[in-house]
Amino acid sequence: MTTDHPIEALDAGLLDHAHDHAPQVSRELRPTTSYTLRVNGFERPVTDAWIGESLLYVLRERLGLAGAKDGCEQGECGACSVQVDGQLVAGCLVPAALAQDSEINTVEGLSAGGGASDVQQALAESGAVQCGYCVPGLAMAVHDLLQRNHRPTEVEARQALCGNLCRCTGYRGALAAVQTVADARAAVAGAAEAAAEEAAAAPADRAAAPAAAAPADPGPQTADLPVYTEDTWIEHVPQPRTEEAGTTAGTGAGVGTGYGTQDGHGTPDRHSAPDGHGAPDGRGGYDGQGGYDSGVYDTTVLAPVRDVPPQQADGSTGFYPAQGYPEQQPYPGATPAHGTYLPGTGYPDQGGYPQQPGYDTASAYDGPVYETPATPAHGTPYVPAPPHGVPAEGTAQAGVPYGATPAHGIRLPEDDHAS
Amino acid sequence: MLPASLDEAVEALAAHPAAVPVAGATDLMEAVNAGRLRPASLVGLGRITELRGWRYEDGGTAVLGAGLTHARMDRPDFAALIPALADAARTAGPPQVRNVGTLGGNIATAAPAGDTLPVLAALEASVTLARAGATREVPVSHLLTGLDPLRPGELLTWVRVPLLHAPQVFLKATGRSGPARATASVALVLDPARRAVRCAVGAVAPVPLRPLEAEAWVAGCIDWDGSREIDPAATAAFGEYVAAACVPDGYGAEGAWEAVTEGPSAAAVRLRRTVAVLARRALGRALK
Repeated sequence: MTTDHPIEALDAGLLDHAHDHAPQVSRELRPTTSYTLRVNGFERPVTDAWIGESLLYVLRERLGLAGAKDGCEQGECGACSVQVDGQLVAGCLVPAALAQDSEINTVEGLSAGGGASDVQQALAESGAVQCGYCVPGLAMAVHDLLQRNHRPTEVEARQALCGNLCRCTGYRGALAAVQTVADARAAVAGAAEAAAEEAAAAPADRAAAPAAAAPADPGPQTADLPVYTEDTWIEHVPQPRTEEAGTTAGTGAGVGTGYGTQDGHGTPDRHSAPDGHGAPDGRGGYDGQGGYDSGVYDTTVLAPVRDVPPQQADGSTGFYPAQGYPEQQPYPGATPAHGTYLPGTGYPDQGGYPQQPGYDTASAYDGPVYETPATPAHGTPYVPAPPHGVPAEGTAQAGVPYGATPAHGIRLPEDDHAS
Repeated sequence: MLPASLDEAVEALAAHPAAVPVAGATDLMEAVNAGRLRPASLVGLGRITELRGWRYEDGGTAVLGAGLTHARMDRPDFAALIPALADAARTAGPPQVRNVGTLGGNIATAAPAGDTLPVLAALEASVTLARAGATREVPVSHLLTGLDPLRPGELLTWVRVPLLHAPQVFLKATGRSGPARATASVALVLDPARRAVRCAVGAVAPVPLRPLEAEAWVAGCIDWDGSREIDPAATAAFGEYVAAACVPDGYGAEGAWEAVTEGPSAAAVRLRRTVAVLARRALGRALK
């Protein structure tokens, strides 16, 4: 470490470790700048922002994308994970001004179709959500992992998620979600491949091959979601998503439900009831409701926000803030999927913003989610494996390219070298 | 400012002496978020693609760009080149940090627990510092110790690392099983051409420490021409030697006098045990 004297000999801020001389910066010096961020495919201008503002701050406070969470501001917790140019980064450690003309993807972009992505759905179903604070980061980490590695092993999944701290549920649920999504995507990809091969085998159908591959997925979904068969929402399912084909179809649920995770912290909620998991009480409210005339939904808008379903059928639910959603109806096409159309800053006072919609995580727990047999209803059984990172035992290092060093430090108490 | 080339960056730094060069920003933004730093302006180095790779120079030297990220150094092709640096990069932090944190930033920040620093010290790497119209070459240890610090307007551009083609080990002890700051780390490289063992201990002092006497002693215990075997007792003794050399008696004690009168402090004993185990294992793995 460079000691103090050279620093004092220099002007303020010359070195990367210039934070050592905070006392020198006593004057109020807040240079600002304006730039444009490309978030989830949308250009979002940022004006007069201090250059030291982190991407996390700008996303949350200036652009109203509150999906990424502010946990530690030190890059330790992973709650602020976003993708910048396709790489998973801690949003709190990226100067937003330097992320201009980068491609930024947030957790709101995962649900760009209006419904939860398969990753979010799987996280919700595997019991990885309790307080929900870490879940947007986890969803981004899982999404990033599965983009790079379609069939991650347990060790690879643990390594990929080791930067996301969760104090509620442990990590079994998240790890299970990784495998669930990977399996589902592999199944879909296999089916699409088979369909393509089949189509290729019959030359007459050659032209139809791509079409056959894509709508192969919505088929079972529509069967899963009888509620929406007469809805315009079905139109969303075949819409080309920019991600790989398996994305929308992964769990066969949650697509096209239209209950977008408005701000990402609600990854699990709002779609858990109506997504075909047999929420018997909630069903009645959605069945045959006349309120859904197809004209309402402009399918050209990327993220149409669904109107509030009639509340009378399941008035108990917390997942439809009654007054919030109708106000989001005049959703301008220019605002992206995140469902937070905020012209300026200060999202909470905007009328269109439902009352902190993501915090109604209660919906993740009521009803069918926890009836999934594999998932314990509360808490996870204690498992000897460390919650993140690689166990120190040799077998767990199978996925580590270089056996010499375990992925994360070493354990001191036992000495593996003595012999 | 987002210069796209090294020349532009150096000129920008010359024009704005108060600007902070920023690569991965992981250390910088931590300070900014904590209110310890208010940068007057930033010079983003992320677009300088020439600094994000590496090249070879004759004489068995790899010239690593300062913009190499930890995630890049972790990849197998790089790990085949400089395994210890790859190991250090792999354990440096969570993926979110390793994806952006850079080698040059690690050196420039010079945090005591910087994971690549003991490796670079053990490898006796040197860095190239560029300023408008000139460059100079500084051993990384001189830079870290402040013997030859970064000057105004200078940018850390390249890191020269000798390719030793021999086992290298980096081990680190942390407080938890996940990625965390090192409580102690040991980098050990073999240099068969010079029949030397080079070792550096990180995180126990503000800069990585080299136990030179222990290195020289243990190099004499190794059968360099044969199978490079060593007596396990010598390995254990090497660990104790390194620990005693790198952790002073008064480590962690409030006043140095107290330590002198009462022997090694409890913290010193504990840390020495950690360092001894790390050094012993590192040597054992390197010679395995």
